Amino acid sequence: MNKPLEAVREPAVEIRFGQVGLAQVRIRTTDAGVILDELTGRVASAPQFFERTAVCLDLSALEKEPTASDMRAVFDAVRRAGMLAVGLAHGTQAVDTLARSLDVPVLTQFRVQGKASPVQPVKEAPKAAPPPIEPPVLHPPSLMQHQPVRSGQRVYARNSDLVVTSTVGAGAEVIADGCVHIYGTLRGRAVAGARGEVTARVFCQEFHAELISIAGVFRVFETLPPELVGKPVQAWLDGDDLRFARIGG
Amino acid sequence: MAEIIVVTSGKGGVGKTTTSASVACGLARRGKRVAVIDFDIGLRNLDLIMGCERRVVYDFVNVIQGDCTLKQALIKDKRIETLFVLAASQTRDKDALSLEGVRKVFDELIADGFDYIICDSPAGIEKGAHLAMYYADRAVVVVNPEVSSVRDSDRILGLLASKTQRAEKGEEKIKEHLLLTRYSPRRVTTGEMMSVADVKEILGLDVIGVIPESPDVLSASNAGTPVILNEQSDVSKAYEDAVARLLGDTLPLRFLDEPKKGFLARMFGG
Repeated sequence: MNKPLEAVREPAVEIRFGQVGLAQVRIRTTDAGVILDELTGRVASAPQFFERTAVCLDLSALEKEPTASDMRAVFDAVRRAGMLAVGLAHGTQAVDTLARSLDVPVLTQFRVQGKASPVQPVKEAPKAAPPPIEPPVLHPPSLMQHQPVRSGQRVYARNSDLVVTSTVGAGAEVIADGCVHIYGTLRGRAVAGARGEVTARVFCQEFHAELISIAGVFRVFETLPPELVGKPVQAWLDGDDLRFARIGG
Repeated sequence: MAEIIVVTSGKGGVGKTTTSASVACGLARRGKRVAVIDFDIGLRNLDLIMGCERRVVYDFVNVIQGDCTLKQALIKDKRIETLFVLAASQTRDKDALSLEGVRKVFDELIADGFDYIICDSPAGIEKGAHLAMYYADRAVVVVNPEVSSVRDSDRILGLLASKTQRAEKGEEKIKEHLLLTRYSPRRVTTGEMMSVADVKEILGLDVIGVIPESPDVLSASNAGTPVILNEQSDVSKAYEDAVARLLGDTLPLRFLDEPKKGFLARMFGG
């Protein structure tokens, strides 16, 4: 008797966002044998630490772009050494293409790293702060939310901006891969650039936020700054710092 | 066509059962046929407030499980002809209820010509509360003017907008009303309590009634008489107003200001 009810109430999957530490393996060669030898030695030195650990391969130190079959051999070598390569570190367009043909994700570094690697090849433009994983054009139009977002509810705009024409209650979450625009009161949490877009911003008409996050950099408001509270406010990322300002003076 | 009204809040102890009893009485006194159902399985209270606890033979769970007919389980109120109570089971838990079972009982009540079905929701957001709200046409969200109650109400409003039959079928939205209870104008003035305007602003809903804080509520509960029937009390007047507004009247809100002290009270610092 209860089965259909449960089916209605409990979704089969729950999607959560979180950050995990991930080891990066920067390779300087695509010679699978050399990599296997070296990694096997490292893993043996601290097996409990490296055994089956998820790693992300950073190709930025390679002199020439590897082919897909080079990379398959490298993945295989890493696996045989005892680690599990789960994707490629974000880099150039070529890395994106490579990741596609290998069918692995490109993992974005959430924060722009201050120091570039010493052997930075010319092809990686230094100013190219991590662009989104998806093509830069936001294909779907903004997600529109006209009902109030109540405590405990969560609205996520994938690959686009989120526009809320109502209020976001305390304990509610509004999340977008692009910007978050709230033309009402923000009392809950707003997350912009949920997948690493550092140029994303949060705008709201009346600021009472619990938390603001942009591209993984967040700030919790235990007390609200008196100059911002109840005012129209925008938030953006300036390097590693979240900045806030009133809109329209 | 019968209208199903859920009285809900999320938070416990804010006055859902008091409100269910008084609203049911108020509607019934206007000649409507009203059934008020206790959804708080295992923590049966409505029968006490309605003063029929010694007349409970069969309950809601018995009806759903087919141990008795609905007619056998409905307790006819001794004061008002058209008012009936369906008590919760005290010995079972909430798993004894199911959506299909609840639907069956509602269909039977509707076929029997009831005008209003009032569902007294349990606290929380678990199964009992979900079942109480699932088929509702309207919701009366009972809220105390303090932050935790307001937040829980916000949560409940979110569930009303997403986890009910109307939401799932994409039908017309449930009509939502706020009812503030235990409102103390004095404590609002001193800043200890949120004002009607604050609550309204945060929840973004219209207020259908403001019930003043009063010892009359407790004495009515103890006596098993819904407080709306104590006509001397401001609480009764406030509930009467709320019922009138539920039925579509527009009345100004009362009891929002501190009562003026009489001459003698001022003289003697009463």
